[in-house]
Amino acid sequence: MGHDTAEWVFVAVVIAVLVYVGVDSWIVQKEVEDVPADAEVIKVTGQQWFWSFEHADGTKEISTLHLKKGHAYKFEIYSRDVMHSFNIPDWVVFEDAVPGHTNHAWFAPNEVGTYPIQCREYCGLLHYNMRGSLVVEDDKS
Amino acid sequence: MVLELQKPRPVWQIMFSTHHTDVGYLYTITGLTFLFMAGVLAMIIRTHLFFPGEGVLVSDSATFNRIFTVHGLTMLFLFALPVANGIGNILVPIMVRYKDMAYPKLNAIAFWMNPVGGALLWLGFADVSWVSYAPYSIIRAPGPAADMFIFGMKILGISSILSSINFVVTVLKCKHPDLSLRRVPLFAWSMLTVSLMTLIAMPTYAAALIMMLTDRLGLSGFFNPFAGGDPIAYLHLFWFTFHPEVYIFLLPAIGMMYEIIPRFSRKPLYSQASGVFAFVMLGIIGFASWGHHMYSTGMDFTTKVVFMIGTLAAVPASGMHVFNFLATMWGARIRFAAPMKFAVGGIALFFSAGAGGVLNSAMPLDFISHGTYWVVGHMHLFLTGTIGFGFVAMVYYMFPYITGRMYSEKWANVHFIGMFWGTVQVFFTQHLLGLEGMPRRIYDYPPEFTSWTQLNQIATVGAWILGASFAVFLASLIYYSAKGKPANMDDPWGLGGKYYYPVAAKNPHGGHSGY
Amino acid sequence: MKSTSKQQMKTLIAVSIIALVALALVSQLHFAYAQLAQQENTKQYLNLRAEVWNLFFRMTTAAFTVGAIVSGTMIWLVWRFRESNPKNKAPTKWEHLEDPTAGSYEEEGH
Ligand code: HEM
Ligand SMILES: [Cu+2]
Ligand SMILES: [Cu+2]
Repeated sequence: MGHDTAEWVFVAVVIAVLVYVGVDSWIVQKEVEDVPADAEVIKVTGQQWFWSFEHADGTKEISTLHLKKGHAYKFEIYSRDVMHSFNIPDWVVFEDAVPGHTNHAWFAPNEVGTYPIQCREYCGLLHYNMRGSLVVEDDKS
Repeated sequence: MVLELQKPRPVWQIMFSTHHTDVGYLYTITGLTFLFMAGVLAMIIRTHLFFPGEGVLVSDSATFNRIFTVHGLTMLFLFALPVANGIGNILVPIMVRYKDMAYPKLNAIAFWMNPVGGALLWLGFADVSWVSYAPYSIIRAPGPAADMFIFGMKILGISSILSSINFVVTVLKCKHPDLSLRRVPLFAWSMLTVSLMTLIAMPTYAAALIMMLTDRLGLSGFFNPFAGGDPIAYLHLFWFTFHPEVYIFLLPAIGMMYEIIPRFSRKPLYSQASGVFAFVMLGIIGFASWGHHMYSTGMDFTTKVVFMIGTLAAVPASGMHVFNFLATMWGARIRFAAPMKFAVGGIALFFSAGAGGVLNSAMPLDFISHGTYWVVGHMHLFLTGTIGFGFVAMVYYMFPYITGRMYSEKWANVHFIGMFWGTVQVFFTQHLLGLEGMPRRIYDYPPEFTSWTQLNQIATVGAWILGASFAVFLASLIYYSAKGKPANMDDPWGLGGKYYYPVAAKNPHGGHSGY
Repeated sequence: MKSTSKQQMKTLIAVSIIALVALALVSQLHFAYAQLAQQENTKQYLNLRAEVWNLFFRMTTAAFTVGAIVSGTMIWLVWRFRESNPKNKAPTKWEHLEDPTAGSYEEEGH
C-alpha cells in the first residue's frame, strides 16, 4: 500500500550498498586483526599525561619510542589511571588504554622516519598535550 | 489564548499555565534561549582553535574542557529535547484531537525541571565531556562541578521520562476514537516513537548516573577499576541509552519535515504507511547498535560484527524517510518559503550525514576516525544540519500563528544561505580534520602541523558564518514578532487550502472548523 | 502520478542501477590496486595502513556515487517543481481540495 516499484528499488539499492559495506568491512577487519606470530611485544602504558614503553628485552622509554623497520610489533596497551587512547595516526595504529584491561594493536613499519604519537580519548587537563613520537630506524643488525 | 503581542497577556499567566500550548511556548522559548547560550560557547571554541599555540580567548585547558562539556550538554538536553517537546506540546494534542495533554500538571512539572537542571549544569560548569566516561568522571573530575553535572542530568533525565509518559498516553489513550492510529499525522507519530524509546532507554542512564555518584562518594566501585569495578560497564550503560537517544533527537525533526513538506508542495504525502513503518523500525533497530561507539575499547571481533550489522540494519529506515520526502516533492508545485527551504536543506544534509554514519559503522575505519574530529563532523551534520534545520523550519512555520505577525522572507533567506553555507563549511571540514588525525576535545595543537592549522581556520570561518546567520535569526525573531506585518492567519503563505494544524493551535478552544 | 513522471521514475531507476553496477566495478579496481601494491612490497607482513585506507577509499566511492544520485535528484526536483517554473503554472490536481495535503495517493490512485 502506497509503495510503488520505485520505493522497493530504492530500498533494495540501499540494502545492496549496505551489504557491500558490511562484507568488505568484515573481510578487512578479519585481515587486520590477524597479528603476525613473530611480532615483538611492546608494552605501552598511558597515564595522565604521557606514554611510556617497555620493549621485550626490558628497556624502557618515555614519550619517544624507537622501533626497527621491517619488524612486526604488537602493542600491549595499559592505563594507569583514566581511559586514554593510544594512536599513531600515520600508521593507523589505534586502540583504547582502559584501566583494568589489556588491549592490543599491531603494525609493521616499512619506512624510516619520525611520526607523532598522541592520545585520542579525552583524559583531562593536558589531554591535548599527551604527545610523543615514534622513531622508525633502519635495522642494522 | 495565545502568546500574541497584539493582545498581550501578563507573562506570569503563561508561566503558571498548564495549558498545552502555553507549556509548548515555554519549552520552545527556553530551548531557543539555551541554543543561543550554547552557540556563544561554540563561537568561543572555534575562535580559540583558529590560533594554535596562542591561547586566544581561553588561556587554559581547564576552562576549555569545561566549555566544550557545557556546550555539548546544553545543545543536546537543553536545546534539542526542549524544542522537540515544545512543538510536540503545541501540536500533538491537536493532531490527536484532544483538548490538552493527558496530564497537564505533570506536563508543567516536566517543563519546570528543565530550568533547574540547566542551572545546575551551567553553575557547575563541569569538565567531564558530555559522555563523562568513567573512570575520569569518578576518580579525577573535580567536584562540586561533576556532582552538579550528575544532579543536573538526573533532573533532565527524569523530566524527559515524565514528558514521554505524557506523550505516550496522550497519543494512545486520548486520541479521538474516530481517528485510527494509522491516520495520526506523522509528527505525532514521531513524538510517540521517541517517547516510547525514551521510556526504554533513559532509565539505564539514570541508573548509571546514580552508580557514578556513589562511586564518586567512595561508597561503591561499579565503574572504578581501582575498587574492583569496570569502566567498560559504564560505556555500555551510557551508549545503550545514548545511541537510541540520537534517534530521539532526530525523529521529531523528521516529523516536522513531514508536516512542512506536503504543505508547501500542496500535495498529499507520498506514503503515510511507509513513514510510520520507518519510524517504528528505527525505534526498534536503534537499540541494536550502541556498541559501534566502543569498537576500540578492546571489543572482540564477533561482538564488533554484531554491532556493525545492527547499525547498518537501521539505515534503510532513514533512507525511506528521504525517499518519502523526495517522492512527495515529485510532481508538486512547491512554494519555497522559509520553512520549505530549511526543510529541504535539512534533507540534503541528513543524507550526507547518514552516508558518513555508514562509514563510521565499518569497523576497520574506526582506526582512522574514532575519537577524531571526523566524529565531531558526523554528529554535528546531524545535530545542526538535520535537527537544527528541521527545528528552524518549524519555528518559521509556527511564527505567524504564535505572534500573529509575519517574519521577513528576505531576512529568512539570508539566514538560510548563511546557515547552509556555514554548516557545510564547518562540518565537512571537520571530517577532513579527522582524516588528518586531529583528536577531538583538544585545547591546543602544535602550530607546525600546517594542515591542521589550515583546516581549523577554514572551519572557524564557517562557524563565524553560521553564527552570524543565527544572529540574523535572533534579531528577526525579536524584531518581527513586534513589528512584522500582521499575518493572514488562515493562510500565511498563500498556499491555498483551508486546514492547518497550527490554526487550531492558535484557537485551542475550538473556533476552527477544520475537523 | 502523471505518466510523464512515471517515465521519469523509470529513468531514475535505470540510472541508479547503472550507477550501482559501475560502483561494483570501480571497487574491484581498487581491490586490484591494493593487490598490486601488496606485490611490489617485498615485506612478508600485511600492510595494515594500506588495507584500511583502501577500504576507506572504496567506501567513499560508494558514498559519493549514491550521494551524486540523491543530491542530483534533489537539485533537479527543486528546480523542476518550484512554483516559479513556467511548466508549473497550472495548479496541481490536489489544489482544488479543501486541503491539498489531506488526501492520499493510496485512496485516489496514482
Ligand atoms: C544513518 C544513521 C547513522 C549511523 C549509521 C551512525 C553511525 C555512527 C557511528 C558508527 C558512530 C561512532 C563513531 C565513532 O565514534 O567512531 C556514531 C557517532 C555518533 N553519532 Fe551517529 N549514526 C547515525 C545517525 C546519527 C544521528 C541521527 C545522530 C544524531 C542525531 C547521530 C549522532 C551521533 C553522535 C552524537 C555520535 C558521537 C558520539 C560521541 O562519541 O560523542 N548519529 N554514529
Ligand atoms: Cu587523552
Ligand atoms: Cu550511535
